[in-house]
Amino acid sequence: MKYNKFIESSLRGTLSFLRASVFSDGYALEKGFLQSIDPRINLLTVIIFLVTALFTRNMVVVLCLYGVCLALASLSRINLGFFLKRTWIFIPLFSLFIAIPALFNIITPGDELAGFTIGGVSLAITRQGLSGAALFVARVITSVSFVVLLSLTTRHFALLKVLRVFRIPKVFVMVLGISYRYIYLFIEIIENTYLAIKSRAGGEIPRKQGRHIVAGNIASLWLRSYRMNEAVYGAMVARGYDGEPVLANDFKTKTRDWVWLSLVLVAVLVLFYFSAQGRFGSI
Amino acid sequence: MSTALYELEGVRFTYLGKFPALTDINLTVEKGQRVAVIGANGSGKSTLLNILDGLIFPDSGVVRFCGDVLEETSFREERSNRLFRSRVGLVFQNPDIQLFCPTVKDEILFGPLTLGLDTAAVAAAFDEITAIFGIKGLADRMPHQLSIGEKRKVAMAAVLVSSPDVLLLDEPTAGLDPRTTRDLIGLLNRYHAGGKTIITATHDMHVVEEIADVVHVFSRDKTIIRSGRPDDILADTKFLEEHNLIHIHAHSHDGTTHAHPHQHVHHDHLHKNP
Repeated sequence: MKYNKFIESSLRGTLSFLRASVFSDGYALEKGFLQSIDPRINLLTVIIFLVTALFTRNMVVVLCLYGVCLALASLSRINLGFFLKRTWIFIPLFSLFIAIPALFNIITPGDELAGFTIGGVSLAITRQGLSGAALFVARVITSVSFVVLLSLTTRHFALLKVLRVFRIPKVFVMVLGISYRYIYLFIEIIENTYLAIKSRAGGEIPRKQGRHIVAGNIASLWLRSYRMNEAVYGAMVARGYDGEPVLANDFKTKTRDWVWLSLVLVAVLVLFYFSAQGRFGSI
Repeated sequence: MSTALYELEGVRFTYLGKFPALTDINLTVEKGQRVAVIGANGSGKSTLLNILDGLIFPDSGVVRFCGDVLEETSFREERSNRLFRSRVGLVFQNPDIQLFCPTVKDEILFGPLTLGLDTAAVAAAFDEITAIFGIKGLADRMPHQLSIGEKRKVAMAAVLVSSPDVLLLDEPTAGLDPRTTRDLIGLLNRYHAGGKTIITATHDMHVVEEIADVVHVFSRDKTIIRSGRPDDILADTKFLEEHNLIHIHAHSHDGTTHAHPHQHVHHDHLHKNP
């Protein structure tokens, strides 16, 4: 009989990944550089870096930004190995598969660097294709790294509140917050349900039965979430909610926050200036 | 002049129009009273609290709050909705349902801010309530990181911070350790001493005598089968046993096993010498 180690390992893997990546705020509680900056300023500076990475056509500027990102991660007491692993997981997903076709002359014509034939079709990697793909991948790496850095160094609830400061509708922010809160609860329910099944069925469950159990549990979880949705709404109404939530805004900016924002602005302007002057070459 | 806070006449409620949850409920709650609603699981206690909080409305019968009929249309007008919500607070049985905000601080501030209370007054009330419950240190924690006792304290603080005149509690002692239960009872009694009305649904017989002046017993037929003083009702062990509120407990004395109804109503006291 075939056993469902696949279900068990997938379930464990998914749940532990969610716990570690979405619900862990260990780094956000560290006393590092970015953690000491007002979350609003943090978000603003990350947006400035992202916009710079997006609009520059110079590889050196993008690499400088990536260097700044790694330096900030280090100053914020984030383990660099962990940070690189965390960011580079997404790179193939977001960029490599898109960038590879751009290397070739059929997408980006230009000076040929290397040519070969596949199934009678002759292809060539072009210099323009290579530099375009490299710039694209570098932009993605830098952007993803800044976003991951922001999410690691800012507590989840602070990020939500920052969204409110930037005029994102309250209901949207509230829904995000509630989703985050209850995804955790449902993870706990899934884990406990799995343990209950394991305690009754023993160590291993035949695959077919396992599939039935998983399908049944998906349905049961959906029903539970539906019922909970009504109950949570009732709890909100009971405390005066009438469609317009009010969230507390208790952020306070300090001098160092403004100094940091000014530094970032000056650095970005300098990068743009040197880039425009051609000080970084033509790459 | 009537001092009745709530008056319920012939209240009937069904879920999905076919599963009865409350049948022919007639009940009066006076201002400043401490009321316990006791009954076995599924006897309709939580449904009653939801009706008293204006979250659901009866299929038939009338519910009056301070002389005004409570019906769905009463809550459509913003001012009357806010007035009622600021006067009546409900602490849910499951704190995970009630704690929906990202942090403990947001959770406690949600009610007063939503009700439009003054920001400075809200900040002062927050400091006071967190000090009373000893949860100041939890302010920036996420609710899912808390123990059940802490969650229950936060849920209670989130309701009491608005200082409602009427406090509805659904199984407040469920899952609490003895010391936290004791703290909670002390707190409720202090709250009541300030003239507040407290209505508690519970099947924890240990606490009924301490938190109620009047007890209403719900039967399996989802109706009130008996009302009276806590000591009268708790002394009637046959009645409590019939309604699944105490159990037969078997234990041994000198090698002989015997059984009797088990409840903890009267407690032994240890007096320390001065």
